Amino acid sequence: MSITVNVNGVEHQLDVDENTPLLWVLRDHLALNGTKFGCGRGLCGACTVQIDGTPTRSCLTTVAAVSGRHVSTIESLVDQQPDLIEAWVDENVSQCGYCQSGQLMSAAALLATNAAPTDEDIDFAMAGNICRCGTYGRIRKAIRRTAEARR
Amino acid sequence: MNSVHLSNLSRRNFLVSSGVLVVGSYAYTSGFNPVYANSTRTLSPSVYVAIGTNGVVTVTCHRSEMGQGIKTAVAQVVCDELEADWEKVVVAQAEGDAKYGDQNTDGSRSIKNFFMPLRNAGAAAREMLVQAAADSWGVDAAECEARDHAVHHAASSRRAAFGELAHAASELAVPDSPTLKSRETWNHIGKSRIHVDAKNVATGKAVYGADVTLPNMAIAVMVHAPVLGSSPLNVKIPESAKKNARFIGIETIDATPGPIGFNPVGSVAVIAADTFTGIKVAEELEIDWSDSPNQDFDSDSFQQDLREAVKSPGNVWHGVGDASTVLDGAEEKIEAVYETPFLSHAPMEPPSAIANVVGDTVEVLAPVQDPQTTRNTIVSAKNFALKNVKVTPTLLGGAFGRKSKPDFVLEAVELSRRLKRPIRVQWRRENDLQYDYFHAPSVQRYEATLGENGMPTAWRQRTAFPSIMSTVAAPNMVEPANWELDMGFTNTPYRCENQSIEAAGLKAGVRIGWLRSVCNIFHAFGANVFVDELAEQAGMDPIDYRLAMWDGMDVVQGALPSEPGHEFKIERLRNVLQKVRENSDWDRKIADGHALGVAVHHSFLSYVASVLEVDRSDSNYKVTNAHVVLDCGTYVNSDTCIAQMEGAVVFGLSAAQRAKLTFKDGTIQENNFDGYLIARMPDAPSISVELIDSDHLPAGVGEPGVPPVAPALSNAIYKAGGGRRRSLPLI
Repeated sequence: MSITVNVNGVEHQLDVDENTPLLWVLRDHLALNGTKFGCGRGLCGACTVQIDGTPTRSCLTTVAAVSGRHVSTIESLVDQQPDLIEAWVDENVSQCGYCQSGQLMSAAALLATNAAPTDEDIDFAMAGNICRCGTYGRIRKAIRRTAEARR
Repeated sequence: MNSVHLSNLSRRNFLVSSGVLVVGSYAYTSGFNPVYANSTRTLSPSVYVAIGTNGVVTVTCHRSEMGQGIKTAVAQVVCDELEADWEKVVVAQAEGDAKYGDQNTDGSRSIKNFFMPLRNAGAAAREMLVQAAADSWGVDAAECEARDHAVHHAASSRRAAFGELAHAASELAVPDSPTLKSRETWNHIGKSRIHVDAKNVATGKAVYGADVTLPNMAIAVMVHAPVLGSSPLNVKIPESAKKNARFIGIETIDATPGPIGFNPVGSVAVIAADTFTGIKVAEELEIDWSDSPNQDFDSDSFQQDLREAVKSPGNVWHGVGDASTVLDGAEEKIEAVYETPFLSHAPMEPPSAIANVVGDTVEVLAPVQDPQTTRNTIVSAKNFALKNVKVTPTLLGGAFGRKSKPDFVLEAVELSRRLKRPIRVQWRRENDLQYDYFHAPSVQRYEATLGENGMPTAWRQRTAFPSIMSTVAAPNMVEPANWELDMGFTNTPYRCENQSIEAAGLKAGVRIGWLRSVCNIFHAFGANVFVDELAEQAGMDPIDYRLAMWDGMDVVQGALPSEPGHEFKIERLRNVLQKVRENSDWDRKIADGHALGVAVHHSFLSYVASVLEVDRSDSNYKVTNAHVVLDCGTYVNSDTCIAQMEGAVVFGLSAAQRAKLTFKDGTIQENNFDGYLIARMPDAPSISVELIDSDHLPAGVGEPGVPPVAPALSNAIYKAGGGRRRSLPLI
């Protein structure tokens, strides 16, 4: 069936099963490969995108559920919050990098609603995103650095 | 040193091979930078570096990038000797080819083994550029100097950029032994550099195994046998799948007879036009599997077998004096048993591989740690000619040892061969956890008697674990190998006049492999907790006790001879321990709410001491702070070394706190991140790292930070009043 989705401000008409998870629509149908597959069950956060600004696990969200809503992926973050990306690079956050799209989308959603997150706020907002390389300390630093620079 | 030496490479060799230095015949280039297509002629005195007439320096990284920052470090080394401008250096990923020397990105040895070949490559290019400039100006090369991406002749104030000189320099002979820069003049080695892929990662552009799509490619979602050794007998495809136009079909793969090695396991591959269709059908298949000798494997009873194994003498690897007589006749002895469970690598990127078999040729793009072994395994398993098999690593979304084993690549090759089209194999997390090459579980038994001064008078240590060799070499190689035991057991720095060091092996019913720091994880755990127990018995501070045990010691000898220049020196172990004592303010009167624990370990030729601080008021003993001191000899990217220690603390905390895998009836019980518990953001302490400035030879960085974490946490929990915890996970 035909479904319309808005991803990064662009409307796409797709002929897919309505139960297809958004993750696979992004990756296999729209070639937006920045969003990653990690667990398929909403446990690791590698697939995090924003839906109307809310960080959401795209592996558990069907494409039908996002019809009429705005999906933002890592590919649009450079336009939305370039300073956050800059902080990520300057803090040399990433190691293997695979989880970082999801980390950034969660971090961006936090900063959009909380201009001065405490470490506890950061821990709470980021607890759903696993980084096996263990870059958590640098993620905290990059979030704090961005928040401080915006003040 | 098993690397390509510059002196072995003639100019002719380069010209013959230059065509294949541009990586990737597929229409994808992101992250692979085949930039010198823009150049009419390149200067390339070795396989590792090329300078185009446009001035762009392409450093070819022949090691796989999995987060350890090797692409950046390799470029720093070449850039330094070349006197190149960092902004004009790009890094290309090499395909698997013996011309690069060893490419097995494993064992924390990329910089250790290739520091000198890479320096030589950069220095040779510099000398050729200088000579070309001198020739064009009619002056002596000794009067010229390379700096800032150009050659300068001070006396005549002349300057020629590297790009202008590249063509003429490429006509010159490659110097056999170029003069290397002195340490004091290094301007990139030892400095902090942002990773070359950092921006691509942070914008979602970095390319991993599953991010490449080839024309006419199909996806293969794998359903693996629930038990190692089983093969599919009957497969029932659901009616819904048969009506789905995006479902292509199924292929069955039988378990490979004989040694397990890197062979594919029994599976049903669901071939589909997209990943979700493949997953949906995979979840609905009804499959009958053949019986397997491993179908009764049970991790609880296996652990019990390991416990039994350390109750009686094992193979004696080191024996001095008469430990048995002293221990058996002692009125009082200290005895403890330490246990660790099965662990999984669980890189965030589940295994994925692309293969395209066309006639008798194979092209593979995959996140592999060792493209040469991958290539050779394809050649031997599938009977292709080596020259017809091309394997190019993508970025690796984490690996930690898992992606040294190319079983998932062989699946892609086999399926592409059968279906005559490009195939991308996609594992789900459940496949990854079920068919890992697992970190071995272990049991260790320590016994000691103490003399008047509190120092040991007799000491016996036994370890039992399933050897990696039983999986990757031959099923009957169950005894721990010397290299496994030299990971913190036979090369223990805790010595005694009456000492027996013994080991035993058992065969497990699942695959065993190496995981970041390997046997050091359990051996460092047993040794460091036991020494803390002895210190307490002796009424001494744990750090003082270690220092006292090392009094008068110089070099530690393990089962294998030391690599030249890499002796295990007590002086360096002592130094990191003393530094961490200062950095953690170890001797302060700790506030009531907190407690500190220490561990120190030598692995991968490096020395690491760690102190963890736990919150006593938290029932889970939350780790609030970690202090790490690393002596890895000469280092390249200082910030990478610090980042690797930070990551190692978190990686070590996963194993120390909650991670554990169990098997019932040969089948894994924890098949996703709700059962296999990995450290998350709230678990991560504040971490400070001191990097020792050293002119020793470069040693390992990626792995040696892991082993001290679990014992330091156990020792801290004890200090916090949580009791002596001798079994991982601790929480």
